[in-house]
Amino acid sequence: MTERGPLLEVEGLRKFFSVKRGFPNPKTITVRALDGVSFAVREGEAFGLVGESGCGKSTAGRALMRLIEPDEGAVRFRGADVLALDRAALRTLRRKMQIVFQDPYASLNPKRLVGKALAEPMRVHGLAEGKALAERVRALLDEVGLPPEAAGRYPHEFSGGQRQRIGIARALSVEPELVVADEPVSALDVSIQAQVLLLLRGLQQKRGLSYLFVSHDLGVVRWFCQGVAVMYLGRIVERGPLPQMFDEPLHPYTQTLRAASPVPDPRARVTMARIEGEVPSASAPPPGCHFHPRCPHAMDRCRVEYPAWKELGQGRGVACHLFDR
Amino acid sequence: MADAPALSVQGLTTEFRIGGRWHAAIRAIDFDLEKNETLALVGESGCGKSITALSILGLIPKAAGRIAAGRILFEGNDLAALDEEHMREIRGDRIAMIFQEPMTSLNPVLTIGFQVAEALRYHRGMGQAEARAHALEILEQVKIPSARQRLDDYPHQFSGGMRQRVMIAMALACKPQILLADEPTTALDVTIQAQVLLLLAELKQLYGMSMIFISHNLGVVATIADRVAVMYAGEIVEIAAVNDLFDRPTHPYTEALLRSIPRVDRTSDTLMAIPGQVPSINRMPQGCRYAPRCGFRQKICEQPPELAPVAGSAPTHQARCWVRAGAAS
Repeated sequence: MTERGPLLEVEGLRKFFSVKRGFPNPKTITVRALDGVSFAVREGEAFGLVGESGCGKSTAGRALMRLIEPDEGAVRFRGADVLALDRAALRTLRRKMQIVFQDPYASLNPKRLVGKALAEPMRVHGLAEGKALAERVRALLDEVGLPPEAAGRYPHEFSGGQRQRIGIARALSVEPELVVADEPVSALDVSIQAQVLLLLRGLQQKRGLSYLFVSHDLGVVRWFCQGVAVMYLGRIVERGPLPQMFDEPLHPYTQTLRAASPVPDPRARVTMARIEGEVPSASAPPPGCHFHPRCPHAMDRCRVEYPAWKELGQGRGVACHLFDR
Repeated sequence: MADAPALSVQGLTTEFRIGGRWHAAIRAIDFDLEKNETLALVGESGCGKSITALSILGLIPKAAGRIAAGRILFEGNDLAALDEEHMREIRGDRIAMIFQEPMTSLNPVLTIGFQVAEALRYHRGMGQAEARAHALEILEQVKIPSARQRLDDYPHQFSGGMRQRVMIAMALACKPQILLADEPTTALDVTIQAQVLLLLAELKQLYGMSMIFISHNLGVVATIADRVAVMYAGEIVEIAAVNDLFDRPTHPYTEALLRSIPRVDRTSDTLMAIPGQVPSINRMPQGCRYAPRCGFRQKICEQPPELAPVAGSAPTHQARCWVRAGAAS
């Protein structure tokens, strides 16, 4: 692995949401969506954030782009402090950081021609006009594998996979350096999922793009990413390079996720170990290590004290009392 | 298995009307579901796997759909020819179904105790108290924690995984012979999915049920199925015992599907996408329906292939492919 500096550094990112729940007397509950999340994405790297629903992985992707304002923490893009930027500077930065959403049906304006949707970001950022703009739209469509006629059609005329290609083209229109891809293939059938993954990897190589790849699918992350962080209830519990992280997971939660991920091999079904319990709510995380109620190795300490983060060398780190020395 | 099959589907064709013309969503589906067997129907969206299940239960909307041909033999009756009154006696009693979305398949204004007990009152003529006692027993079997206290809770008070357990309890209330499970774990997180799959396998043993398990996920199918039917564009393109299918994927579509899954347990650089997309129902190719996307296409593929035994595999392993199975090679 070549040593390249971090493109994006996230440190101690925190976001709590207040929600009102209950009827007829609603109570205000604090949901700890992000509770001190730190990671880095190197230049040219695809870095994965994995976890189950509600673990905060999507919030992390949005908070670091300031689509949601984080409460605390630091985000540095090429060394620049993202959280300190004013509106104008943030707009300039957004050219460098783009996002691709999960749902290709919901993230495109149904009343806008695809060509217009692709041209708008370039016009907003003053990248091209007139003939040059039309030419760039055509080039973008070609790059994501769509015919030039697509520019004159509406989103509903496309299949799910094609719409995701449009979403990718729109993100690429401003020539970003980092793309936050939030479950970009989860809504797609497997054969189409492979098409989109191959497209994303091709773009990584051709344009030198970096990705923050948010996903719940460990198989997809293993194939696409070079490094990964596993999240549980708003915190990162383990981080490391791939494939080592999934071949030898250290944190009991990573081991659980790995064992529960189905593999297309009937002889591997013995790995379907018994997995206890449900994911607790992020509004009332268990005391101590959040994973202890489901953990087969839970000790007394785990019930009272959240384990400190430990760096283990070679890019690996874990938050688990089993690795206290 | 010398016994008669629990369910025998023969030449089932279900059509829908689009723009005044009838188009087949599934065509000539043939399979036997043996007693105590789990048969998986696997394929991508639009392949007809759910339509097959809905046809078996007589749930095809009458306004735009019809069973155009074929028989569905169950306990000596042809379900395809049964009237709604008799079908209703079977549905939810001897054949039950679990749906994908536990959020939308439960009634939000009725307690879960009531909803599980409903089938017992309807099919078994039980009174309130008796049905409630039975409902509690089943909710305990599907491992709802402190089921007694939760009997009077409403669906919104349950998590997604627990709601799916309630759905399973509703389906099992009358101890069905056949359970149709349509993507029962697709909406769940992987750890919860593993729990529900294990539960389904245990309950199937306990009740001596047969199960048709519908999924798009070959990993899940490999975990739970005894036998697998791969569907593409409304047809079964390959059917085999689970080990035979994964050892020797024979139809080019099955093979391509397996190669398009990024696996968590091994590193591979050969992720293969299948070019193009599934043909739409009113624009089916004349011959082999997979031919336009197939790398092994030959002249003969312009003729529709039949399911044929796969040479060198078990006799129960069949594929619908001129090139890989049958006479062309």
